[in-house]
Amino acid sequence: MHLLLIEDDAEAARFLAKGLRESGYVVDIASDGREGLFRATEGLYDLIIADRQLPHFDGLSIVAMLRKNGKHTPVLILSALGSVDDRIEGLRAGGDDYLAKPFAFGELLARIEALLRRGSQPEVTTRIRIADLELDLLGRKVTRAGSQIDVTAKEFQLLEFLARRVGQLVTRTMLLEAVWDLHFDPQTNVIDVHISRLRAAIDKGFDRPLLHTVRGAGYVLRDGD
Amino acid sequence: MATDVRLPGGTLRLSSARLALLYAALVTIFTSSVLLAVYLLTRNALEREISAVVRAEVEDLSDDLRLGGIAQVAATLRLRADSWGRTGAVFLLADPEFRPVAGNLTAWPRDVVPVGRSLPESAMVEFEIAAHERGESVLHPVEARIEHLANGYWLLVGADTSERLNVLRRFGLATAWGIALTALCVWLLGAAYARRTARRVRAYATTCETIMRGDLTQRLAVDGSHDEFDALAVAVNAMLDRIEHQTTTLRTAFDSIAHDLRTPLYRMRMRLEEAQLREGLPPEAHELIAPALHELDRVQRTLATLLEIARAEASGVTTHGEQVDLAALAANMVELYAPGMLAAGLHVSLDAPEAAHLTGNRQLLAQMVTNLLENALKYVPAGGRVQVSVRNTPGGVSLRVADNGPGIAAAERAAALRPFVRVGDAAARAAGSGLGLSLAAAVARLHGAELKLGDNGPGLVVHCELPAAARRESPGGVAQVG
Repeated sequence: MHLLLIEDDAEAARFLAKGLRESGYVVDIASDGREGLFRATEGLYDLIIADRQLPHFDGLSIVAMLRKNGKHTPVLILSALGSVDDRIEGLRAGGDDYLAKPFAFGELLARIEALLRRGSQPEVTTRIRIADLELDLLGRKVTRAGSQIDVTAKEFQLLEFLARRVGQLVTRTMLLEAVWDLHFDPQTNVIDVHISRLRAAIDKGFDRPLLHTVRGAGYVLRDGD
Repeated sequence: MATDVRLPGGTLRLSSARLALLYAALVTIFTSSVLLAVYLLTRNALEREISAVVRAEVEDLSDDLRLGGIAQVAATLRLRADSWGRTGAVFLLADPEFRPVAGNLTAWPRDVVPVGRSLPESAMVEFEIAAHERGESVLHPVEARIEHLANGYWLLVGADTSERLNVLRRFGLATAWGIALTALCVWLLGAAYARRTARRVRAYATTCETIMRGDLTQRLAVDGSHDEFDALAVAVNAMLDRIEHQTTTLRTAFDSIAHDLRTPLYRMRMRLEEAQLREGLPPEAHELIAPALHELDRVQRTLATLLEIARAEASGVTTHGEQVDLAALAANMVELYAPGMLAAGLHVSLDAPEAAHLTGNRQLLAQMVTNLLENALKYVPAGGRVQVSVRNTPGGVSLRVADNGPGIAAAERAAALRPFVRVGDAAARAAGSGLGLSLAAAVARLHGAELKLGDNGPGLVVHCELPAAARRESPGGVAQVG
């Protein structure tokens, strides 16, 4: 996977590139808006990570110009502007995701992975199977090893979000955004309680747990450890 | 906190109108008294003039009587037979049986026959005589004096008073009109002045409201009339210039500090994470790095909340005004918090209508509800209840979050809405950042509402009345007053 990182802060760029390369990505770095726009237009990237505040062109302008030229490469915007409004403005401008600095590297990795997988995933699915867990997306029913499990509407939404990203790390903020449409972090870890209830519903009484917690990062639904 | 200084327009208008009415009444009473006095004086003067003329005639005729007897009086009267037509004078000499001897009356007026044939000295009598004018019979009021002459003859001397009555009537009419017009003018002037005053005061009030909603560029209108209002506006505007300057300086400083802090925080976080990823690190190092990252996140969250408060306070208008269903939003938030609260031994319930729409910023409103719920989660002990209610009101939507926890003492409520103020005992103080309620209050203000803290006996009740649409400034900021 080939990524373009447009970031004028050399220190930040170095760290992000290093981390991303260690995670198996090929990373190009552009240090200002003009270079970034040029590379993004010319090169074939799977994903662009653009800082919002850049010399010459800011991140939002880059997204707008790319879209005008018919480029649909996913763009993840990074910004020191952490306000809720800034975040929504960034998404409205055509950015595919928005991350406020400072963020945990794990959060960035999870979001990159989610954006890259988004394109390859078949959208029209009516059933998802993970080991012996089965989700009926039309009937909104959950069964495990053939027996039905009662879950609330929100628990089903949570489970569906995780199941559609099976094997991928899903962070708390991703869940808050997708399931509750909240673009800010509550102070207490309210999500953890929802996850433990969901885990009690689907994993309790079974030898093989499916819903795993990745410490300090988020959750992942997968068959096996 | 935010005091509502909106001027109740109705009351203002009423008090000005009342003042105008009071002035009109006072001026009317004063003018009426003066004109009434003039009227009475004029009437007296006219009456005195008539009786003086009559007395003079009586004295002339008495002289004739003394010099030439009744015959002389009769002769004089015959000479003056046409005087009625000229001067309106009335004469009649009658014998002791009231039979006319001479004069311009055909008969002694029946209604003034002296009873007992005696008269009080120089008494004036009034009667009416019928005269033929242009073929019509017209009654003329006459005021006369009757003299009992020495030889038993009667002499009547009088004057037609219709002219005097006409004058008085016209004068009275003019007086009445004068009073009415004066009263009307005074009232109109008073009303116009009161209206102008009310209009300018209301314009100032509207501008002040706009400024309080965050648009510090607004100024009171100076209309160049150099009156006391202009003087006030100029002084207030000078004060506003200063406040705006200070606020801008503070905001710029705050923004730069916040931004300058973010970069080092960001780098610090990256370095810590880089360290964490390094292979061969002893487990103790991980135990040190993880809490450091946790603390860093806390600093970051506080900074973000502060920035959010500053933004909410600074921008007068929500940047993303959208239709928000507060009932659905509250349900969403209660749903999010219910398991956490249950785990903490709290029972949370929602009482909301099907839908409760208002125009606002969904994320900020969600943040407000979140902060109120977080607050309850932090301060209400296990076994407590938290009740969230949403109601449709005539003006918009009301939101109420009540609990039966320790509450906030009445004296501490205002302070609890200010940033970094934590109230209650030491344990309660340690629990929060002191920004939650402050941000909730800022969000409420941004939506044109005031966050009110009250006593739930026992517990805390947070209440706010959100208008259906936050009022927006009119262009130019000058109030449109009807």
